[in-house]
Amino acid sequence: MPVNDTYTDVLIIGGGVVGCAIARELSRYRVRVALVEKELDVGFGTSSRNSGVMHAGFNYKPGSLRAKVDVRGNALMDDLCRDLGLKIKRIGKLTVALDEADVPTLNRLKEQGDANGVPGLEIIPPQTMQKLQKGVEGLMALHSPSSAIISPYALTIALAENAAANGATIRLGREVTEIRRPAAPGESFEVTTVSAEDGRKETFRAKVVVNSAGLFSDAVCRMAGITDYRIYPCRGEYYVLDKRLDGSLSTLVYQAPKPNAPGLGIHLTPTVDGNIIIGPSAEYIDGREDHACTADVMAALRKEGHDLLPSLRMSDFIRNFAGIRAKQTPPEVGGNLDFVIEDRKDVPGFVNLVGIESPGLTSAPAIAEMVRDMVAAHIPLAERDDFNPRSGRSPFFFSELPPDVRADMIAENPNYGEIICRCEQITKQEIIDAIKNPLGAKTLISIKYRARATMGRCQGGFCLPRITRILRDEFGWKPENFLLRSVRSPLYAGHVREDKGGDVR
Amino acid sequence: MTLAIRRLKACVAVIGGGPAGLAAAVAARNAGCGDVLLIERDRILGGILNQCIHDGFGLHTFGEALSGPEYAGRYISMFRERNIRSLEDTIVLSLAPASEGGLEILASSRAGLVAIDANAVILAMGCRERPRGAISIPGDRPSGVYTAGAAQNLVNLENIQIGKRVCILGSGDIGLIMARRMTLEGASVESVFEILPYSSGLPRNIQQCLNDYNIPLFLSTTVTKIHGRGRLEGVSVAQVGADRSPVPETERYVPCDTLLLSVGLIPENELSRMCGVEIDPVTSGAVVDDTFMTSVPGVFACGNVLHVHDLVDWVSVEAAQAGAFAAAYAAGSAPEAGIPVKPGDGVRYTLPQRVSGARDCTISLRVGAPWRDRSIVVRTPGSASEERRIIKRTKMVRLHPAEMIRVDLKAADFAGASGLEVCVE
Amino acid sequence: MSVREYTCVVCPNGCPLRVDVEERDGCPVVVSVLGNVCKRGEKWARQEVENPLRTIASSVPVAGGDFPMASVRTNRPIPLVKIRAVMDEIRDIRLSAPVNTGDVILHNPAGTDTDVIATRTVRAARAG
Repeated sequence: MPVNDTYTDVLIIGGGVVGCAIARELSRYRVRVALVEKELDVGFGTSSRNSGVMHAGFNYKPGSLRAKVDVRGNALMDDLCRDLGLKIKRIGKLTVALDEADVPTLNRLKEQGDANGVPGLEIIPPQTMQKLQKGVEGLMALHSPSSAIISPYALTIALAENAAANGATIRLGREVTEIRRPAAPGESFEVTTVSAEDGRKETFRAKVVVNSAGLFSDAVCRMAGITDYRIYPCRGEYYVLDKRLDGSLSTLVYQAPKPNAPGLGIHLTPTVDGNIIIGPSAEYIDGREDHACTADVMAALRKEGHDLLPSLRMSDFIRNFAGIRAKQTPPEVGGNLDFVIEDRKDVPGFVNLVGIESPGLTSAPAIAEMVRDMVAAHIPLAERDDFNPRSGRSPFFFSELPPDVRADMIAENPNYGEIICRCEQITKQEIIDAIKNPLGAKTLISIKYRARATMGRCQGGFCLPRITRILRDEFGWKPENFLLRSVRSPLYAGHVREDKGGDVR
Repeated sequence: MTLAIRRLKACVAVIGGGPAGLAAAVAARNAGCGDVLLIERDRILGGILNQCIHDGFGLHTFGEALSGPEYAGRYISMFRERNIRSLEDTIVLSLAPASEGGLEILASSRAGLVAIDANAVILAMGCRERPRGAISIPGDRPSGVYTAGAAQNLVNLENIQIGKRVCILGSGDIGLIMARRMTLEGASVESVFEILPYSSGLPRNIQQCLNDYNIPLFLSTTVTKIHGRGRLEGVSVAQVGADRSPVPETERYVPCDTLLLSVGLIPENELSRMCGVEIDPVTSGAVVDDTFMTSVPGVFACGNVLHVHDLVDWVSVEAAQAGAFAAAYAAGSAPEAGIPVKPGDGVRYTLPQRVSGARDCTISLRVGAPWRDRSIVVRTPGSASEERRIIKRTKMVRLHPAEMIRVDLKAADFAGASGLEVCVE
Repeated sequence: MSVREYTCVVCPNGCPLRVDVEERDGCPVVVSVLGNVCKRGEKWARQEVENPLRTIASSVPVAGGDFPMASVRTNRPIPLVKIRAVMDEIRDIRLSAPVNTGDVILHNPAGTDTDVIATRTVRAARAG
């Protein structure tokens, strides 16, 4: 249902994959849902900066929230991806024991996984390992067939767009600066946001506020008077490898985890689009938005890559990126605390999510179900009969369709015949669809995450001038207003020659 | 199968309408092939020359110092005068040997998908620029970092001002040309940084693009970090040691809002690889014989897709030869070339990688480091059965990695040799 | 007196030149040239020190054409010191299609003995 002025029933703070999953879940019901996201698109934080792995659930203590929502989320993913038109590849995972000390770890993980209800777990010998992944070395491995890969930014965007299609209000470029708690029971929260583009303030009045602000969830807590939590940012760096190596990995391969490690270690992960990513590292940092890549880690990732893929060339490393984990424990403590998913008794109507790091991506739809139940305790939820779970999108890029299908589509719409991104063979129509996205996101990265343009080996060298021409000549954008991802990242300074009109010759 | 996929036939298909493709198509036509088809992905012919608005093109070919568009214009005229078919705004998606012989091209345009059956194909796709990710510069990923060629396209063809305060990494000609271009259009170019101890650009460009405008060039220096959360704010630079690793104590910060990367060109051989063409790991281009045929029968290569050139005049010469040979192949001649040519001391690569001894030919090569007063020596390598023999010695005053060297050989001089080696003495 | 080092660009030999230069009435004058293999190098060095000449290229917007910009260049070298003044004049130019390669866009800009000519042909765009 559309938000009436600035009144809403539920206000979700944070448009990452969890916030967007909550928005979509709540849009099934006759309730007003609004989501505010401080960046200029959904998913610009940790949600787009991770390995894209759907974890099976054997890494988590039985009885923990993490175990519960991960296993449930994993089970929901096939239907969700089918409905939203997203690729998912159930390639499974091998967790490998490299030496004898790892064997008890594997046994523990198997027991843990069985207790968590993870399907199909099996400890397998080297011959079986070889059948799943040629050349993999180790004493034995835990095979989890339900491990899978998806595109994390595509999932986040699809969730948000489906929520919007079903009546949720998604407001981009809105940063929450103040939260005033209800003056009396039954009254609303007042949440103030500031617009990134023009600094304008807005106030949202909501019966229920959901804090899904990720790396800033502790700051949002403090705005609501909750001081229990502190987030410690822990950065993970990645490399993206050329699609030339597509097919080198048939399954995920991880080393058996070491206790108290802040993450699951550096590994090679295939992506659903045919790249391979190496990473992530783990480094506690000060800045929550410090996505820089560092020389030491990059060198370590390159070495790891060469060790694991002997045919790797320097030109195969096409890009770096980094994501930041929202950890609840400082570096001296390390490890992982359980997810915080709570309906605060001390602040009634404040549903609080803190420390949703891995497996937050897998868990998102299950966390949304839990949040829905918490919301239902405050607002009666009646199902809509016109909720449409389907996005109507194809999971495939145009270039992945068979030639005769493509030929017919081009005959009907010539924009499908014009290739704009040479490396990924992305067509003009796909670029136009990305520009005209239903959320109204207006950055180059928004086009990239929707249409895949600039993600190939030339990293935009060929398509950027062409996309620029389309934005300027067909959509009337002024070059000085083209943004990479935020109001602080303009691509251009304007025109070389400004329009003067007429012939001065 | 839908009727929506057009089928075309061509005797010789040329992929790419830049200087190589144009010269090859014209030569194929001149050699008697009546059925040449050129496929170009841009809406105009001319390729990279369209954005190279500075002069210096054509001194050898036309005896004039033309701009890139003018040089392209001359060849486009020759092309049009011969009524050669062209498909513009058409991009080749795949290339493969056809089951019945010949080659099959699948291409896409607004008019639809088109399948082209050709007896011979000339690869003339040019090259792409090495991006930031491939040279692993640490730091943030703000807006304002461009490869020099993409910047040249935006400034020269789209009238876009990309930034005001510019640093350039890489002193190859593209970086130098853009230093001048940005300065002339009102930007302030702070510095050019070059990781090697010498510039890889022509001396004329060092003088006329840097010295004229007091833009400093720092050799043995590289960018060690990029700073800026939104737009670029500055770069850290440091000197490098003999192993090309940064020396941390020399690191300093240079404020700027634009960083241009001119850090190498990579021949665009995705289609070639798709077709099974053997690629030389040093040139990143096809392994060819003295007819410019690759390891796949009927597939020829010329221009920057074969090896990165510095003078367009030699692209035109090379492409004309490839065009003529492709036409001959399509008409039924199938020459063989069995004499391998290898780079020796001081030489980074030689091309073609095989010659026949039945024809005169030209060996193109690049040296690995700058030299003065040396000779390029072509000789047989010598073995148990054959004594080492010097085929040709060419004295040169100046040898530089940035300048391709061409040595003409007469067939009679080396026919019968079991191999050739080219080295610096 | 000062010493300047150049790489001669007259031919591919690229002779490294040492040029002794004196200031006379505020203008540099060549006293001697060393390192050139031929006389052309000496002549070039003198020109380069006393009155360096350059060609420049730029781009001019074209209205109503099948291409948005026409590249232009000087068809004869101009003194280095005149580059800014010539660029100022080029910056003011706006063209309308059709433009043909070789068209004179500016005649004797900033008093120099050159023309600025179009180096790209831009046809009038088809209406509709």
